[in-house]
Amino acid sequence: MAAKHTILLVGESNVGKTHYGAQFLKRLMAKACALKMSGAPTSLEAFTTALSCLTEGKATDHTPANTYVESIWPITDDAGNYAELVWPDYGGEQVRSLVTQRRIPAAWRDRVLGAADWVLLIRLHSLRSEDDLFSRPLQSFAEAEGEAAAYEPSDQARIVELLQMLLYLAQFHLDRPLRKPRLTILLSCWDELDTAELPADILASRLPMLWSFVRSNWISPIVIGLSALERALSKTDADQEYAIRGPEEFGYVVLPNGVKDNDITLPIRRLMAGET
Amino acid sequence: MDRCSHPNCFADDNTTCTLGHIRLDMCPEWSCVSKGEVATTSDSDQMLLPWSGLAMGESDLNFISGKVKPITVGVIGPENAGKTTILGAFYLLLGRGALTTDTNPFSSSYTLAGWEAVATNLRWKPGHFPHFPPHTPSGAARAPGMLHLGFRCKDGELRDFLFADAPGEWFKKWAINEQAADAEGARWIARHADVTLLIADRQALAGPKMGAARNDFQLLAQRAVAEARGRRLALVWTKGDVDVAPAMEAQIRKAVALGSSSVPEFTVSVYPHGEIDAAEGFRELFGWILSTKRAGVNLPTTSVSGHDPLFRFGRR
Repeated sequence: MAAKHTILLVGESNVGKTHYGAQFLKRLMAKACALKMSGAPTSLEAFTTALSCLTEGKATDHTPANTYVESIWPITDDAGNYAELVWPDYGGEQVRSLVTQRRIPAAWRDRVLGAADWVLLIRLHSLRSEDDLFSRPLQSFAEAEGEAAAYEPSDQARIVELLQMLLYLAQFHLDRPLRKPRLTILLSCWDELDTAELPADILASRLPMLWSFVRSNWISPIVIGLSALERALSKTDADQEYAIRGPEEFGYVVLPNGVKDNDITLPIRRLMAGET
Repeated sequence: MDRCSHPNCFADDNTTCTLGHIRLDMCPEWSCVSKGEVATTSDSDQMLLPWSGLAMGESDLNFISGKVKPITVGVIGPENAGKTTILGAFYLLLGRGALTTDTNPFSSSYTLAGWEAVATNLRWKPGHFPHFPPHTPSGAARAPGMLHLGFRCKDGELRDFLFADAPGEWFKKWAINEQAADAEGARWIARHADVTLLIADRQALAGPKMGAARNDFQLLAQRAVAEARGRRLALVWTKGDVDVAPAMEAQIRKAVALGSSSVPEFTVSVYPHGEIDAAEGFRELFGWILSTKRAGVNLPTTSVSGHDPLFRFGRR
């Protein structure tokens, strides 16, 4: 019996979890990647809408906040490793509310405990970069205003807190840097960034506190750039090229060494290969 | 706000609810106190975390200090001297990746929301200029709010730091009377601080009330130096862009050097000073704090007559 390889796919809303899942699945079905589907997936329900949208060259709708579905894909890699990949799809609000509400539903606790590897999706383009008095020095200081203005925690504080919560739930302690669960950070919508930097470098420059946290607590975190769609799609106007060539012809990853590869299943294959 | 009935809970004072509830109306203990309000039925399916991210109180510290006692950094200084601004600046530099070098990467913080609250005033926001953090409320005379940062050292060990953010009034009362009833928090810091930052406010020392400021500082320094009993202490000049009469500086240095001969000095300012980046002073100060090591305990070696491994101290 093959090991179930459950992936904890964590990403806030609008980072492209569903698009990645759908493109991944499309690649598997079209046999256009290093991983092969060996059998039929249990349920494609979660991705049917996304798949049909992409086939026409349209972006899919936002996954409803309360949805959580898992789809099990039997896959083998070229070395013959067999695994059942458990791929979740859910509304990203759930992740954000973990941090803001600080109440962990039992289902999420089980997911964290059951996952062999963690994949964190971050869309750098949608994160704010805040100016403070070190990046933009002051000429003169305003006196403290009467009422403290409401504020939101910075994006990297939120992501660090999320990881700390997951580590706590999974009952890992940080005495030593962790070997397991392996952490892969996917910088999604890479095409938006329009950069030639290495994925790890751009993460380090944009979210230095998060990168420091990750590097200090994991032995070998991996940062990969991901563009699941290769270009921005509209929800209403179909992209002609997509419709003609098929969505499996689009999308790429940027590996840690900066090499661009069209096979978006590579991040997961790395995890599978490392297992044996 | 009412006081929570839980003996270890100080949620009424803007710190963590000891049971971890962010929304106090969800806390069963709290709902006993605030009668009349409809208590939300708590969802037993959900799990709470042992930390809330807000500044910690004394009784919350167990979560961090369970394994190894963290290094406590006490920031001692008069009101309005810039104590909270120093902490805010540390956090902003951490967020920019400029606080520590790669040899000491940031590794955890269980008070991120507390740090964000301290630093938020120093950020540019639409319609808001950065401004100094408002006054730290003194509230009840208990342990100060603690902000936590963990770093990983070269040897792979974690080193936890707790920064005490306490109001200046406490220190003023404490300087005058060590046993002052409402200086409990100041005593707590003096007792627990492994590192003490003694703040000299250059603006006050050059201002119209410089005499009073000097006098207050001398009293405070006397107390702090006496209480430090050889633990690490540094003199930190805040508002470093303000010029202070050299004679005044000499008096301040004299006040600090009463007990020990060599007290390190640091100058910080939120304004860039000529070619020097504003961050530099804060970074230097933090580097010094980070180099603190807890003195190792030397267990007495005993000569064991037998060879029973149980009676050997294997580890040092």
